[in-house]
Amino acid sequence: MENVAIQNSYSIPISPRELYPRLDWDRDVIVLGIESTAHTFGVGIASTNPPYLLVDARSTYKPEKGGIHPREAASHHTRRAPEVLREALEYSGVSIRDVDAIAVALGPGLGPALRVGATIARGLSVYFGKKLVPVNHAIAHLEIGKLVTGMKDPLILYVSGGNTTVTALAKNRYRVFGETLDIALGNLLDTFARDVGLAPPYIVEGMHVVDRCAEDADEPVLLPYVVKGMDVSFSGLLTAAERAWRRAGERDKPRICLGLREVAYSATIEVAERGIAHTKKRETLLTGGVAASPILREKFREMATYQRVRPGYPPARLSGDNGAMIAWTGLLYYLLGVTIEVEDSSVRQRWRIDSVDTPWL
Amino acid sequence: MVVRELGEPLYRGAEAYLYEYNWLGMKAILKIRIPKKYRHSAIDDKLRSDRVFAEVKAMYTAMEVGVEVPTIYYVDPVQKIIIMEYIEGKTLAQLVREDIDRAEEYSYILGTYTAKLHEAKIAHGDLTTSNAIVSSTTGKLYLVDFGLANLGSSMREQAIDIHLFMRSLESTHPEYLEDMLRPFLDGYSSIRGREVLDKLLSIVEEIRLMGRYVEERRTVWGRK
Repeated sequence: MENVAIQNSYSIPISPRELYPRLDWDRDVIVLGIESTAHTFGVGIASTNPPYLLVDARSTYKPEKGGIHPREAASHHTRRAPEVLREALEYSGVSIRDVDAIAVALGPGLGPALRVGATIARGLSVYFGKKLVPVNHAIAHLEIGKLVTGMKDPLILYVSGGNTTVTALAKNRYRVFGETLDIALGNLLDTFARDVGLAPPYIVEGMHVVDRCAEDADEPVLLPYVVKGMDVSFSGLLTAAERAWRRAGERDKPRICLGLREVAYSATIEVAERGIAHTKKRETLLTGGVAASPILREKFREMATYQRVRPGYPPARLSGDNGAMIAWTGLLYYLLGVTIEVEDSSVRQRWRIDSVDTPWL
Repeated sequence: MVVRELGEPLYRGAEAYLYEYNWLGMKAILKIRIPKKYRHSAIDDKLRSDRVFAEVKAMYTAMEVGVEVPTIYYVDPVQKIIIMEYIEGKTLAQLVREDIDRAEEYSYILGTYTAKLHEAKIAHGDLTTSNAIVSSTTGKLYLVDFGLANLGSSMREQAIDIHLFMRSLESTHPEYLEDMLRPFLDGYSSIRGREVLDKLLSIVEEIRLMGRYVEERRTVWGRK
C-alpha cells in the first residue's frame, strides 16, 4: 500500500488580510478540512496565522483497470482515512484539541465517496465537540487557487475529471460564464485513453498518457473543434478521435493523440479567453486536476499574453483535489460564523458553484 | 494589410480585433481574426478560415430572411479579414443596465431574429446580449458576430443558442433573467410556434442536466 503523501509548506504571496479584508484575521483559528469527493481522500489543516496552510495529507485511489468506481473509491477512502488523518495531525504538530472546527466537502462529487468524508467529519465533530463547516468542493478549488497565487478577482478556468468551467465573481457570487455542454476535459482525456488502451495508469511521471502519446507526432490529425459562446463540447471530438484510432496504423496513432489534445486544450483555453474578454478581469487563474498539465499551462500563459492579463496557477499538488483547500475555505466560513448541525450535513452530489453565497468576498 | 498599420483596435475581442476603417469613404468596421500561438498552427489556420466563411455565409442568409445584420463590404479569407458596415449604437447588454423596459422590447425582437435564423437552419453559436446592437440612428436591432455560426444546424444546435442566451442572462444580468427571457421566448414562438419552442426547451433542459451540476430543475422558462 502506498504511503500517505504529505506536504506542509506552500508559499503564500500576499497576506490573507489583503485578499479577504472583511474577515477578522486577529482571531486565532485552526480548521481541519476533509476532502473525499472523488479519487482523493485528503486532510488539511489551515490557520489564521502564518504559514496559513499547516499540512496537506492525502491518499489517492488509483483504479487497476477502468475508471473511478464510486464504491471502490469509497472503500479506499474508508481504509485509508484513519492513517491520513493521524499523519496530518502528527506532521503538523496540531492536536485535535487545538482545532476549532471540522470542515468537510459535502459536494459536488460521487455519493459513496462523499459520504465517507462526511461520516468522518460528523464523527470528529460530535466526539470532540467541534463545529462542523460545510464546504463546496469547487469553491474550495477557487479559494485556495486565489490564496497561493495572490489573486483577488481572477477569471477562473477550472478543469478536472468532472468539471470544465469558466467562472468569475459577479454580483456577489461565482457566476458560470461557460462550461462543457457534455463531458469534462479530464473525462475526455481519461475516457479516450481507457477506450483505446493507453490507460490505466492515466498519469505517468506527472503527465497524462494522452500528452505522452502526442509527443511522437508533429502534425495533428484534424478533429472537430466545437466552441459555442463560452461553452465547449467534447463528445463529438471523443467519438471522432476513437473512430480515427480504429482505422489508424501504428505510426498515425500519435497524430491522433496530438489532434485530440490540441483541439481539447485549445478550445478550453479559448473559452477562458472569451471569458476574460467578456468580464474584463485583469488576472486569470487555472486550477483543477487537469491544470497540472504543463502543456495546458503553457497554452494558458500564451492566452494571457494576448489578453494582457496576469496568469496564475497553484502548484500541481494544490490544483488537484486536496484537504488543504477544504480546510482553508472552511476557515473563511468559520470566521463568518457559518456552521451547520450534524443532522443537516447531508451530502450534495450536484452542488453548483453559482448557488453558493460568498460572504467572505 | 497588417495589424500594425491599423493602429489601436476599437475593440480587442477574444478571437478578433475590430478597427474603425474607412471603406471607400464609408465608416466601416474591419474585423481581423488573430492567429493564436496556443493553437497548433494547422488547427489555428483552418479554424480562422472556417470562421470567416461561416460568418459571411450566415450574415448573407440572415439578411435574406429579414434579420438585420451589418452589410458586408469586403472579405479576405487568407488574411481572415471582414470589412462591414459600422453600426452606431449600444449593445443590448448596456441597454439592460440603462433601460430595462426598452431592453425587454428588443429582447422580443431578438427572439424573432433567432427563430428566423433557425428556420433557415442557421444557429448563431454565440447568442448573448453583447452580440446584439441597438442602432442609435435607426433604432433597429442588429445581430453581430456570427463567427461560431452553424449553417446546417440540428435541433440540438438551435437549442444551444437558447441555452447560451439564457446563460448570458444568468451570468451577466441575473437580476433581469425572467424579464429578458420571457419576451425573447415570446418573440421566438411568434415565428416558429409554441410547439417548436417547447421541443427546443426540452432539449435545453437535457443539455443543462448533462453538462452541469444542477441541484434542482429550474422553471424560469415558464414550463412545468
